[in-house]
Amino acid sequence: MALFENESGLFSRRLFALGGMQASLFALLAGRLQYLQISQSDDYATLAEANRVNISELLPARGIITDRNGVLLADNDRKLLVELVPEQAKDLDNTLAELQEHLGLSNARVRELRRRIKRGPSFKAVQIAEDVDWDAFAAINLRLPFLPGVSPRVGEKRVYPEGETLAHVVGYVGDKTAADLRRMGRIVGDTVGRSGAEREFERDLRGTAGVRHVEVNARGRTVRELETNPGQPGQSMALSIDVALQRFVTERLAGHSGSAVVMDIESGELLAMASVPSFDPNDFSRGVDARTWEKMLVAERKPLLNKAIRGQYSPGSTFKMLVALAALEDGLVKADDEVTCSGVYSFSGELFHCWREDGHGPMNMMQAIESSCDTYFYDLALKVGINRIEAMARRFGFGSPTGINLMGEKSGTVPGRDWKRANYDAGWRSGETVITGIGQGYLLTTPLQLGVMTAALANGGKLVTPTLLNTQDAPPQAPRIGVTPENLAVIQQGMYRAVNKPEGTAYASSLLIDGQRMSGKTGTVQVRRISMVEREEGVIPNSELDWHLRDHALFVGYVPHDAPRYAISVVIEHGGGGGQVAAPMARDIMVQLLRSQASPQAASSAPSQERS
Amino acid sequence: MSYPSHLNRAGWLEYFNDMHKPLFICVGLLGLIGVMVLYSVAGGDFSPWAWRHGIRIIGGLGLVYALSTVELRTFYVLAYPLFGLVFILLVGVEIFGSKNMGAQRWLDLGFVRLQPSEFMRLALVLALARFYHGMHQNHVSHPLNLIAPLAMIAAPCLLVLNQPDLGTSIMIAVTGLSVVFLAGVNLRYFMAGTVAIIAAIPVVWQNMLTYQKERVLVFLNPERDPLGAGYHIIQSKIGIGSGGVFGKGLAQGTQSQLNFLPERHTDFIFSNFAEEMGFTGSLALLVLFILTLFFIFRIANQMRYPFSRLAVASMGFSISIYVIVNLAMVMGLAPVVGVPLPFVSYGGTSLLTFMASIGVILAMERQTTADLPK
Repeated sequence: MALFENESGLFSRRLFALGGMQASLFALLAGRLQYLQISQSDDYATLAEANRVNISELLPARGIITDRNGVLLADNDRKLLVELVPEQAKDLDNTLAELQEHLGLSNARVRELRRRIKRGPSFKAVQIAEDVDWDAFAAINLRLPFLPGVSPRVGEKRVYPEGETLAHVVGYVGDKTAADLRRMGRIVGDTVGRSGAEREFERDLRGTAGVRHVEVNARGRTVRELETNPGQPGQSMALSIDVALQRFVTERLAGHSGSAVVMDIESGELLAMASVPSFDPNDFSRGVDARTWEKMLVAERKPLLNKAIRGQYSPGSTFKMLVALAALEDGLVKADDEVTCSGVYSFSGELFHCWREDGHGPMNMMQAIESSCDTYFYDLALKVGINRIEAMARRFGFGSPTGINLMGEKSGTVPGRDWKRANYDAGWRSGETVITGIGQGYLLTTPLQLGVMTAALANGGKLVTPTLLNTQDAPPQAPRIGVTPENLAVIQQGMYRAVNKPEGTAYASSLLIDGQRMSGKTGTVQVRRISMVEREEGVIPNSELDWHLRDHALFVGYVPHDAPRYAISVVIEHGGGGGQVAAPMARDIMVQLLRSQASPQAASSAPSQERS
Repeated sequence: MSYPSHLNRAGWLEYFNDMHKPLFICVGLLGLIGVMVLYSVAGGDFSPWAWRHGIRIIGGLGLVYALSTVELRTFYVLAYPLFGLVFILLVGVEIFGSKNMGAQRWLDLGFVRLQPSEFMRLALVLALARFYHGMHQNHVSHPLNLIAPLAMIAAPCLLVLNQPDLGTSIMIAVTGLSVVFLAGVNLRYFMAGTVAIIAAIPVVWQNMLTYQKERVLVFLNPERDPLGAGYHIIQSKIGIGSGGVFGKGLAQGTQSQLNFLPERHTDFIFSNFAEEMGFTGSLALLVLFILTLFFIFRIANQMRYPFSRLAVASMGFSISIYVIVNLAMVMGLAPVVGVPLPFVSYGGTSLLTFMASIGVILAMERQTTADLPK
């Protein structure tokens, strides 16, 4: 039976060889198991979790912005938009061609899109169109199975019902940029406040994002919701603005280039802050094209600039109150001391002209403010000296931001000896003190600073911080400047006369409703040098000058005279005389304000009512 | 050799007492694990797979028992006719077979759909064992005696390859060659063969289908196409790896429950098992397979007749290759070749073939002294 034997153990040896091979392979498999399930287990567990859980961000609704009476100033609206993830598109050319047909895109737009697709990472969605109309949106949704990579979705857009009226105050939102990310850290959503209140109150308006964890299957379909943190919607804000008044102000200023600020003298709340010409913030939240933007940037009347905080002007005669106050506070003159105006003032060989060529005759302080006599203030400025003038200007907030915290606010300039040394490397000349006395020369202020100054003169010497927030519930305590009430009364008397006495520069703008009076001061600022020759031949009237050479027209004031509540400042660039142009505007605005306070149907807009 | 010519109740029981029970139990346990995993894969439901698999396991074990009572001589006599029959069936598939997933593998007999390529391994092993039975060791390595076995291996391989089913074709070839190897054919032939295969790789590569090439390329670098062909391997590895030491619990595997795993009731069933049972469970399953194979090889080594020992060893080898290739595949160590995990994967024909192999092995184990011609 040798045939049936396991010949010389050959079979066993070979079976052993096969078995050994398999044993080593099984050992390899066990090793692999150990590697996957023990050594690398954490990594794979993470991967499995990432597979399983789809984390999506829930965008918080941006807070709405209203005026002090609850009128909507910035709202959220739905918009339909179409996006494309380039790497998911099977045939980019066909996809784009079809989208172009449905959406009616121009060839230039398609070229632009192609460029953006080529430049950007291919996994990142590119927005093809927004504010798509419903029919096109529906058509694309129907074609979706044949348009891989295309995703039509509903987004949010910001709308500004008041449009141009509040463009500078409310501001607008824009697509976030790398710079925003550096400035604010991580930002949820696509947009961020770019200017005005939208930017200033970004953190409150934005809210916090929610997170949704959903379990998804391999096809990405939601199996169940694991946990949802709905996040915090943005806070709604009530601004201090009274939109009815704001509309009126904007209309009253229309056609000019300038700004007006109306403020509560105790709380600093801005009831109106207008800058004209303006722009439509809705264009910006939609994304404005480069050409329109350029045009706006270089336009002579600067529609993009909020002139109330970024325009810097010589205050002109509106500064005279501070010069007078500085003199009274240091006891250098008495209010009754008289100076005789002959129309021209001579100092160290230089002639300084009063705006009234034939002179005002003898003037005391109240009269000088009333008729804005330059000669009186040339003389007074020299008596007071630049140091005291500079100090008083600073005490009233000039030369530094008001604290409203709007982006781009300018500080203005308060000149002085040190300032001159630092900026011009030259000594201060007394002649410069003379023109500083009438608010010209190096002195620069913003309309908002003028408003704050006026409020301080009216409220008994408190330097309020202007604010866009409705602070009726908790009005902040403004610091006292520290001027004596008696001296302030003199200034107030002068301002009362300027508007209400026949000799006053703003007498034409005196208002008479229910016996309430406005006090104020005009300012007319020369922007060109008037030569001796021109003076002899007669000064050319503003109406015959090029626009950019005309005087700035200014007016500051407050109402009512006997129990002041509101301050106003109006600056009209190249508008002409302050008494002819700015004062009537201020009067009309104040009339509107006082009427709306008094009339029953406008009772809800009364600031005394507790509404937010 | 006092076997009853007819079977009565007492006879059945007698056979059971005589049977190699550890192997029988191992196979039953593997089938039970299959039922459990299929229950879990369906999200904790016996339908659609688990109950059918359970029925098949029970039926399969019945088949094992029935085959184990068949006389050794019968296998010996039927070896060549069986091979011929299966070969004809393979040709039949070529002509009448129904297409499924782009490959022609099935023979629809109306009541059952058969995959003859699976049966071929068993038939081939028996035929080759029959061929070497009684051949003297001195003649085994004679070149003329190589022609017949190589032809018997090559013919079905080429037919299956033409279906096309590369995986099964390779399995048939490897199984057949294992008989040749165990029969004692000179090692020089195997070395020459290895050299020839290496030389042939470029030619084979040229003639491979695109999807087959892609599978190999993706195996070499799964991240090459993470959403396409590499997806299976990556997701399977994630499933296994995320199981950790103790697993996520039955029906708690997120990878399989959420459909991230492909073919999770057939070829990739181990991923699901490993995810839910962890390293401890996986190792236990591995040990169960090793134990099964150990029993088979020990039986092979105890066989007295070349026919029995060659058949048992090769059938054991065939099962082990399936296990190794399948596990290597799901763990990212081998290309995706579409090989089921014996006894555990859902599927009719392959399970039937594995069960039949076990039945034949148990029959041979019992009849070490059966009367066989020289």
